[in-house]
Amino acid sequence: MATSNKQYKAIGEELWKGRSEKINAELFALTYGALVVQLIQDYEDYEEVNKQLEKMGYNIGTRLIEDFLAKSNLGRCADFREVGEVVAKVGFKSFLNISPTVTHGAAQPPTSPSRPTSNASITQAASAGATFTLTLDENPLAEFVELPDEALEGGLWFSNVLCGVLRGALEMVQLQVQAEFISDVLRGDDSTEIRVKLVKYLEEEVPVGDD
Amino acid sequence: MSHHLFLLSPSDTPLYSLTHHSTKPVPSVTSPLASNLPTWSTSAFAGTLTALSGASSATQHTSGGAVRVGGGQDRHVIQMIANAGLDVIEDVMRRENTMYLKSVDKFNEWTVSAFITPGNMKFVLLHEAKNDEGIRQFFMEVWEVYVKTMLNPFQTAHTAIRSSVFDNRVRASARKYL
Repeated sequence: MATSNKQYKAIGEELWKGRSEKINAELFALTYGALVVQLIQDYEDYEEVNKQLEKMGYNIGTRLIEDFLAKSNLGRCADFREVGEVVAKVGFKSFLNISPTVTHGAAQPPTSPSRPTSNASITQAASAGATFTLTLDENPLAEFVELPDEALEGGLWFSNVLCGVLRGALEMVQLQVQAEFISDVLRGDDSTEIRVKLVKYLEEEVPVGDD
Repeated sequence: MSHHLFLLSPSDTPLYSLTHHSTKPVPSVTSPLASNLPTWSTSAFAGTLTALSGASSATQHTSGGAVRVGGGQDRHVIQMIANAGLDVIEDVMRRENTMYLKSVDKFNEWTVSAFITPGNMKFVLLHEAKNDEGIRQFFMEVWEVYVKTMLNPFQTAHTAIRSSVFDNRVRASARKYL
């Protein structure tokens, strides 16, 4: 990788500091909480709520990536591993001011050696099925939240919007991924983890509209 | 010596209740069971409703609420005292502007103290001994914990408080101040 981890961290920091409009964290958390509660009341089915949150996230992600690329000026990532690094260190940092840790998983066939990121094309045949896992040690969306028993039993992923954002954003850069929560401290697990799995590289034009 | 705490919503629905047996030595009536296992009873709606509906049977449905004999110890009497105090509380509320209304009512050996939050939640505490300063600090802490619980989007001003975090904090507070 041409850009090292430290540089990603620094870029993330700079982007966060450079943002002129930030929102109060409590307001953000309360707004998101109200949104989830309203969805629950409307749909009354936790699986459906999960889906809707993911859809909303998808719409956010497709727009967010433009802002991200414009501000960060990063070029293409050489491989999926680098995607994970950038998402965690630059993406999450610049928008939510959190730094999740990345764990890369799944056997990847050896990718091409690192090249300069600009003008490099992503290795096509390799690494479909590659994954990385983001471990969030703090989640600004779920700041004051405690899930009631029905939500726990119903299988609600409170912050599922994040999965949608990841899917939408990465789809705009020709990566089709599946993002899902593996564990969540709101549910009583030890940590909050999102697993992002690469399905395939999108060769042709991205189909317009997902519905 | 025991204390009974009730949290009531602005529409007077009970959202939370707690019975706390203080381990501080106080010369007061002792009932045979009081000094044994501290029975923490945190009944929400069910216990209050059965009591208010006049069910005077000795067997209570409240989880773990020790039924003791002796004046003013029965659960439904406690409920009645608390409810009777509400009228007085509302009176005082209109007159005074403070949050902590000291003791608003007295019934046999029980004193009723109240605390009104800015959001019109009533915290009602039944106690036997006089402990103004301790009770005031207790109320302030309960208020703080209550505010934090209210920030949970799933918690509204009218749903019963079932959070175990809230429960533990209130009990710890009770142990500290009462």
